[in-house]
Amino acid sequence: MPRRGSGLIGHIPWTLIVFLLASTVPWLGSRYDTFLAGQIVIDALFAVSLNLLLGTTGLVSFGHVAYFGVGAYVCGILMKTYGMPFIVAFPAAGIGAGVFALVSGYFCVRLTKIYFAMLTLAFSQIIWAICYKWDAVTGGDQGLPEIPYPNLDWMSVIPGLGELTDSARFYLLTLALVAVSLAVLRRIVRSPFGRMLTTIRDNPERAAFIGLNVRAYQLAAFVIAGAFAGLAGALYGIFSRGVFADYVFWSKSAEVIIMTILGGMDYFWGPPVGAMALVWLNQQITDYTQYWPFVLGSLLLLLLFVFPGGIVGGLVAGFRLARRRLVPRNA
Amino acid sequence: MFRRAVLALGFVGMLVAPVAASAAEPIKIGFPIPLSGPTATYGVPILKGAELAVAEINAKGGVLGRPLELLPRDSKANADEAVRLARELIIRDNVDFLAGTLTSAEAPAVSTVAKENKIVFVAPIAKTTRLTAPENLHPYIFRLSSNTDIEGKAAATLIARWTDVKRVATIAPDYAYGRDAVAAFIANLKKLRPDIEIVDQQWPKLGEPDFTAFITAQMGKKPDAVMCDLFAGDFETFSKEARPLGYFKAIDNRLVDGAEVGTVDEAQALGADYPFGIISDTYDPVVWSGNEPAAHKAYIEHLKAFTKSKYGSGWSIMGYQSIEALADGITRAGSTDEQKVAGAMLGLTFDTPVGNRTINPKTHETDSGEFWGVMVKQAAYPFAVMKNPEFLPAAAPTN
Amino acid sequence: MAASFLFSQFMGGLTTAMFLFLIASGLSLVFGVMRVLNFAHGSFYMIGAYLAWQAMQWLHPLAAGFWPAALLAALGVALLGAIVERLLLRHLYGREELYQLLLTYALVLILGDVAKFIWGTGQLSVSTPPGLGGSIQILGTTQPLYSLFIIALGPAIAVAGWLVLNRTGAGRMVRAASYDREMLDALGADVGLIYTGMFVVSSFLAGLSGALVTPIESIVPGMDVLIIVQAFIVVVIGGMGSLWGTFWGSVIYGQVLAFGILIFPGFSLFSVFALMAVILIVRPWGLFGRPV
Repeated sequence: MPRRGSGLIGHIPWTLIVFLLASTVPWLGSRYDTFLAGQIVIDALFAVSLNLLLGTTGLVSFGHVAYFGVGAYVCGILMKTYGMPFIVAFPAAGIGAGVFALVSGYFCVRLTKIYFAMLTLAFSQIIWAICYKWDAVTGGDQGLPEIPYPNLDWMSVIPGLGELTDSARFYLLTLALVAVSLAVLRRIVRSPFGRMLTTIRDNPERAAFIGLNVRAYQLAAFVIAGAFAGLAGALYGIFSRGVFADYVFWSKSAEVIIMTILGGMDYFWGPPVGAMALVWLNQQITDYTQYWPFVLGSLLLLLLFVFPGGIVGGLVAGFRLARRRLVPRNA
Repeated sequence: MFRRAVLALGFVGMLVAPVAASAAEPIKIGFPIPLSGPTATYGVPILKGAELAVAEINAKGGVLGRPLELLPRDSKANADEAVRLARELIIRDNVDFLAGTLTSAEAPAVSTVAKENKIVFVAPIAKTTRLTAPENLHPYIFRLSSNTDIEGKAAATLIARWTDVKRVATIAPDYAYGRDAVAAFIANLKKLRPDIEIVDQQWPKLGEPDFTAFITAQMGKKPDAVMCDLFAGDFETFSKEARPLGYFKAIDNRLVDGAEVGTVDEAQALGADYPFGIISDTYDPVVWSGNEPAAHKAYIEHLKAFTKSKYGSGWSIMGYQSIEALADGITRAGSTDEQKVAGAMLGLTFDTPVGNRTINPKTHETDSGEFWGVMVKQAAYPFAVMKNPEFLPAAAPTN
Repeated sequence: MAASFLFSQFMGGLTTAMFLFLIASGLSLVFGVMRVLNFAHGSFYMIGAYLAWQAMQWLHPLAAGFWPAALLAALGVALLGAIVERLLLRHLYGREELYQLLLTYALVLILGDVAKFIWGTGQLSVSTPPGLGGSIQILGTTQPLYSLFIIALGPAIAVAGWLVLNRTGAGRMVRAASYDREMLDALGADVGLIYTGMFVVSSFLAGLSGALVTPIESIVPGMDVLIIVQAFIVVVIGGMGSLWGTFWGSVIYGQVLAFGILIFPGFSLFSVFALMAVILIVRPWGLFGRPV
């Protein structure tokens, strides 16, 4: 993880600026822009949660969407079928996803590399099969349409928010919740716990040699990543006003991996940048052609061969290059 | 002199009308429908039917002086894809109305989007009764197709006619449509023929690539007749695999399929591999044997010309109807205001090339029956054709 | 339950198994030798099916067009495999597995759309070759001749593969490469050529199985994704890198599918992934694989 840049660039509170810009979308943009922005924000959280495994701990999970899906269903079922308020359903989604992650993670972390990836995929598809077949609880192939919005009337207390639509208000709530979640995750990544994870990623044998319980740390990372993915899923269920079994299909796991790599998995803010880029690119491309998978695959090839650091990696490298050329060197 | 003036005016009017229509802002209709995957065999001709209707209506000056614009999207027969597309069509493309969807998973999902956004949605294909069930009904949803209750009853009626049949099996796709249709079939069969035993039920998933295990399992139970609800690509794969295993021979072709595999579209897709001798249904037999309505003849000629196909399609009629019904509703309402159009659709009687249809104001559906018949070989056609199509209306007298 | 009924299910399970073996064998060998899990293997299978259909259209005048068409399709896919390996895959060998996996996934996306672009989005069909279109009666059941052909082909390929791997010089090289690549390299063998060769053979098998499946199943977009998941399951059960493991893994999987629908109707979706999970938890290297 590179050090915070010194000098002017490093002192600008970029994250605060982005957050403020993002919160102006309902006023500055159209209803559709708000819709896209909401998508980006939720995907950003999902991708950052995956990166805790991928970038920080070096665990390649192909089944991360399972926890996203569990979170979506838990929140959706609690709110729609049992009429519970959002303030109960939302954390419950995170806890539910975390529990699933604990159970499946326990088995997964005992394996390495390809076998680990395959087992995460297997568990993810099991969850998909359950969501698809368990008509009584998950709605089966019909899914759970019409998830209600949480009661957002309290927002009209804040000046300026009174005349916004429900969807715009929910977008702002989502933005706030995601911002808090990202702040928490950032804390975790930079903490001693996070440093242990990168130690394990770089050399698991050495980490075990110096006394770290590698499996326990990996499992902890797995559970945290799963829980936050569940929170993202809960938000997504309400955002799209419905939860369907296809949300949990493994191709969505591949999509979020691509998002993370596109942004740059070596940087904390890589995945959110990747989320933004991918959603935007998808919109642009699908306007012109139905062959979005072809474009996505080609993009992936480009990333693998030319820009392995992703967008943020490329930007950082380019910036460093520019600085070296422009700023006179001190002897 | 006066006549010439009238003719001249009429001629100018004909030129001006389409121009006037195109100058006015178009009425946009979002049309999500599967255009790829196994169900595309049905989805593609349905879209063509809608496009034909749009072209015809626009040629006559559009609706309320405005042209119709169709925005088709590939839903891949996926509920969540259909929902996403519907939402995009509404929020980004600002469509005025929605029509389409094929499967009984897509339609109820899109219906909730229509309800939320208060946009009129006309569903011409999906049959599940859940779409218009009281707990799901709302002012903006309308169904033009038959439904699983009517289909199940018709299938039961047909199987009940075989008095020597005592053991019946079912094979249907494992989702709302298959489940609801089989349930209705069994309920009605028990009433008509309490002596018949249901000996086997198979539930392959929609899009199943390999039916062999289901086929042999069902044959093991030795049914006398089968109620099948596989359709489109699934039916094609199923037929190809079942024939060499002796499935159709074992039941002497006594298979009733209520999922419109009797359409020329399906028959053409299978060609010589079609299981001749089975009974199926269609909304439009296309190849009529006597008493063909004149309107139908004209429609089929237009369809063949429009799609540049030799034999037309049995599915296009439903896409065609969806646009016709919507256009009639808008005209009757006198505006594109959603509330007014929704109100106008209730009790609307609209003309179709195969007869009138009326939207029941209480249930928002047309209670449409279908044409049923045995699929046979005929010298004039390189594919299976329905012999003596019999129209079984919703309130079919049971014999 | 009648014995003839159980026999029918059993034979159906064997047919499914042998198809899967044909596909999965290539996947397993590539993983065993090159440690690459080729997601695009399913795409090769699909391209093989489409190429076979295309070749059938061109060879239409000829009555016995199916066999040359299948061979052409397999060769076409083998060529595709050679291009992929030489141009793309070989540059990523040193890197982490994630990159190789992502490369093959990128190919899945690209090849899927290429197929849609060339052959459209509808379902295509190929008729059973004349001579194998009929069926015979065995133990009171109707067995299609084509299925019997496939059931015979599977073990034939397995035995042929075993002979090549264990009784030829080239086979010895391949086995050595799977045990210790660096040592083999140090001994002067052209490991790069071995890798390319393995990938080409694997692609040939994938293309061939795609071509051979066309009389039974329909050719449709999405068949690549459906088959690769099943191939993964088979390879996991049998053990990645083991030819006989893949063979018996396919047989087991085929029977689980065939009889699973009798015991748990509607649960086949769940049970195969559960089986995969159980194997990975209890014995990750599968029935015949080596503990890694």
